[in-house]
Amino acid sequence: MSDCKNCDNCDCGNDAPDSPERRKLLGISVGIINGVIATAIIGPVVGFVGAPLLQKRKGIWVKVLSESDLPPGETKDVKFTMHIKDGFMEVDREYALFMRRSGDKVLAFDPACPHLGCRVDYQSDKGRFFCPCHGAVFDDAGAVVAGPPARGLFEHKTKIEDDHIWVYREV
Amino acid sequence: MSEDKKQVISPESPVETQAQNLTDSEQARLDRPKLSDWLELRLGWWGFVRKNLDEQMPAGVSWWQTLGNLLMTLLAFQFITGIALSMYYSSGPESAHASVKHINEGFISNIPIFGSINWGLAVRGIHVYGSSVLVCVTVLHILRVFFWGSYKKPRELTWLVGVLIFFVMLGFSFTGYLLPWDQKAYWATTVGTNMAGTIPGIGDSMLILIRGGSEVGSLTLTRFYAAHVMILPAALIILTALHLYLVRKHHIAGPVLPQKGATVPFWPNQLFKDAVVVFFGVGIVIYLAAVNPPGLEGVANPTGTDLVPRPEWYYLGLYEMLKIMPAGWELMATLIIPGIVSVGMILLPWLDKSKSRHPAMRQWIIISGTAIILMIGLMTLKGYLETPVHGEEGHGPAVEGQAAPDGEAEH
Repeated sequence: MSDCKNCDNCDCGNDAPDSPERRKLLGISVGIINGVIATAIIGPVVGFVGAPLLQKRKGIWVKVLSESDLPPGETKDVKFTMHIKDGFMEVDREYALFMRRSGDKVLAFDPACPHLGCRVDYQSDKGRFFCPCHGAVFDDAGAVVAGPPARGLFEHKTKIEDDHIWVYREV
Repeated sequence: MSEDKKQVISPESPVETQAQNLTDSEQARLDRPKLSDWLELRLGWWGFVRKNLDEQMPAGVSWWQTLGNLLMTLLAFQFITGIALSMYYSSGPESAHASVKHINEGFISNIPIFGSINWGLAVRGIHVYGSSVLVCVTVLHILRVFFWGSYKKPRELTWLVGVLIFFVMLGFSFTGYLLPWDQKAYWATTVGTNMAGTIPGIGDSMLILIRGGSEVGSLTLTRFYAAHVMILPAALIILTALHLYLVRKHHIAGPVLPQKGATVPFWPNQLFKDAVVVFFGVGIVIYLAAVNPPGLEGVANPTGTDLVPRPEWYYLGLYEMLKIMPAGWELMATLIIPGIVSVGMILLPWLDKSKSRHPAMRQWIIISGTAIILMIGLMTLKGYLETPVHGEEGHGPAVEGQAAPDGEAEH
């Protein structure tokens, strides 16, 4: 700046390459351009990687068992297959449920422990579900008896139709 | 003429001698420089090597200062074996298990004298045990810096970057554990990712982002593979370069109390100690890989009841903590306690306000740090002793010892 006072030929207007105003303007412009460039790469990648967040789970009724195959008083480890889309694949995935009758209703317990998702196993001699991971125990109505879970086993909706037991399963 | 040439070629290389009368071979060498001289002129590599070999270290440096070199070597082993494994691994749920089985069983050849060698299993064994030994040595390295107070000004950022490297290593272990897509892998990942799902508010979204869907499936495997071979290695390389830069910039801290005596160059004494320690460290990895090669359980099966879930040994403390947390308190074990320990580690140089590096002068930090270390150690030991090894029946002794929770569980 001081040079401007002593220099007749210097271009000391606001549009001089090193004037503070010009530097500030160019600085802001570079910042904006870089922001746009960054958005051009971050936007698509975030949208792409975050895409699973926008997918909705859909539930369907699945026929899992003939009604006569579930006698009263018994808890049965039932396996059934669903045709699902798993990312880039379409597969027939096997699912499991623990089913038992309670009055005229059928209970269908999800085998995933409500604590952190390990698969519980039913021991019929004890009438209890045991989780092999962190020691949770559930009674045959799915309620917590011991261990860290805050809630009992998750129950799926069931219905009886055409002499078959149907389960509503979200995938 | 020859004097000038010598100056230009390599100011610090051994070429520069005081001899006035050059022999024919020396003269020939200067006229047509060796590859090393050629490179020296363009890269200045000899200066770089000399700078590192002549790095002055404080008096009193000992075997404790060899751990960094061992870590670098073990990291190199992980990169090399990892690249080799990636040439045979396939990250699809229908092929992952088969590809690891092929690595385990498909590369046996008979070598005269040595007998039959299982190359795939050897490389995988080095990778698997290398990761365990790496975590062990990293913990020792961290403990040394902690007790010696080496993280103090001006080395706060060296510590911070080192802690981040440790977290990246745990990420490597967590993501790598899923890749064989066997039962152990599937269930450890189910539990591990469900832990993220317990975070209030954002838990469900976190779970889906990490898994690539609501269940552990094909997209979980590809995500973990991408993290394991792309994201984490990139992070590790950048952080390690920064860590080494900072170690060189500030030099090593040396013993807690300054020792009498002059500084000593890294070469030859300390480098020799490094070589010995690296030799034994690598020896342990090779020994473990040879004696107990890594197995492979049955293919991941969400409906199978044959699982005996067991995380990698250094997650056993966390695993045990999840067991003993009473109903409704799991957030303590999944987020709050690990979060406090992690943030405490990151902030250590600022939490410890004492000017002195001596442990007696910073009792508060030493006592709380030791308590945490002992707690993690005890929980890990408890988890190690109580978790049944694969194939054993039963649900572990913890089931019987659990008290029933208060009140009715919501249902």
